[in-house]
Amino acid sequence: MTVASASPAVTARPRRPAPSRFLIVRLVVAALITVWAGWEIQFTLAPLFTDFANGWVVVEQFLRPNWSFLGSTWTAWLETVSIAIIASFFGVAVGLVLAYMASTVTNRSTRIYRATKWFLSVLRSLPDVAYVLIFVALVGVGSLAGILALFIFNIGIAAKLTAETIDAVDAGPLEAADASGAGTFARARWAVQPQILPNFLSYALYIFELNIRASVVIGYAGGGGIGQLIQVQFARFNYENVSAVVISMFVVVLLIDQLSQYLRRRLV
Amino acid sequence: MSAQTATTPATVRPPEPGKTRATVGAIVLVVLVIGSGFLSNADWKELPSIFTEGWKYLYLMVKGLVQNPFAEPYSEYWSQALGGMLESISMAWIGTLIGAALSVPMGFLAARNVSHPVVVQATRVVLNFIRTLPELIFAIILLLPIFGFGANAGALALGIGAVGTLGKLTAEALEGIDPGPVEAARAAGAPRSAILRWTYWSQVLPEVLAFWLYRFEINIRASAILGVIGAGGIGSVLSQAFRYREWDFIGILLFVIIAVTVIVDSISGAVRHRIIAGGGADVKDADAERVVM
Repeated sequence: MTVASASPAVTARPRRPAPSRFLIVRLVVAALITVWAGWEIQFTLAPLFTDFANGWVVVEQFLRPNWSFLGSTWTAWLETVSIAIIASFFGVAVGLVLAYMASTVTNRSTRIYRATKWFLSVLRSLPDVAYVLIFVALVGVGSLAGILALFIFNIGIAAKLTAETIDAVDAGPLEAADASGAGTFARARWAVQPQILPNFLSYALYIFELNIRASVVIGYAGGGGIGQLIQVQFARFNYENVSAVVISMFVVVLLIDQLSQYLRRRLV
Repeated sequence: MSAQTATTPATVRPPEPGKTRATVGAIVLVVLVIGSGFLSNADWKELPSIFTEGWKYLYLMVKGLVQNPFAEPYSEYWSQALGGMLESISMAWIGTLIGAALSVPMGFLAARNVSHPVVVQATRVVLNFIRTLPELIFAIILLLPIFGFGANAGALALGIGAVGTLGKLTAEALEGIDPGPVEAARAAGAPRSAILRWTYWSQVLPEVLAFWLYRFEINIRASAILGVIGAGGIGSVLSQAFRYREWDFIGILLFVIIAVTVIVDSISGAVRHRIIAGGGADVKDADAERVVM
């Protein structure tokens, strides 16, 4: 009897925990932000129903790509890939130096370390398009502005990713280098660099991919390459041509991704 | 004498490994870079003007920054900059929410341990397609013809662009869950919807929330890009200012972008760490996702 009365108590469902008060507060805050943001940008899906017919005329043109236009995109593609190669090469080279300065493992001066970290976060907080606009103002419209903008942009990413890898290196070689009296440079070159090299090269390839993807934006803002071609064709309402370029972009990005993934797998 | 000769072979230096591959690689790289220098059609003669003109413009930008922000025309500049930045953040927020809402079903469809292999492959093709094309393309193809210029079109473009990466990351998170709770729920006879909700979704929720926040940080930068084609926000204001070469205004705008981005990043980063680590020790969570994004 006592056993039977005890067992229901054991198998009874545990009471459902009350919803946390903090969770409710957080959800309410998120909802308020959403309402406010939606109001700020006048969010609406109504044009999807009211203006769909007007827009569809344009979308239909996009669905009939003008394949013959592809032949004339060749030089613009060459320009885009060249821009990406130069910007990635010099960007990751400078990024590597800054990465050594932005890690406590290799940089023994706290003050320089802090300054580098701060400089890098400022560098990263501007979007690539802001750099294009700046360099277009400085050196004029063309691929040089694109190269310089991507160069600055790449420094920020390369330095951040590499610095995090440097933070995580095995301390053994560092101790060995310290014990044999290596200076700051020898320590970084012989105790750290061999450990981070595969990751660093893989970041370089990743940054090259990013630069190809960014080419539309870069060109649109005046930095040369395929984006400039898209902008010109779009401004002339040649939507069939734009569509062909977009499809070629899809293919090129896919090919470069595959190539870079193959190389990265061999490196790491 | 004999002892000395015996130890010599042991302490002899091992032969240095060949450097042929590294040398060939370096030569190829240098040739590629120099070749690109010619093929890019860059006007290298203009390069020195960064240093001659750059200081002048930098001076003008700093001059705009240090003026009294409550006097005309600088009060107007500051309010336009802050208003544009608020609009950009709103675009990023709404865009992230749209992307998040769409990416959850896509993520479940693209997870190998949830859906049928054919569905998985089909969904992955769609996600890869979206991931390959930049937001700008969605904006100019699909949105401008229907939604016209403005922040609303920009937010939708950011939302569509976010589906690709968020869907892929959600699918990968779902594939990495602990199968134990799934088996337990199945053994207890739970319906499929309950299994998905209480064993799959509960396990990935913190990780997925962190991805959403990370995407929000990315979208703030991306909204500036969309502004250049007229999708509102700080990007539109910035490209206007560059068109008229108002360097003092540009200085204020760049300052606002940098300051607000750094603040939002650090808040969002703190929340992400808190979600993943539960307020405990600092974790290196962002490395893998950042490479995927």
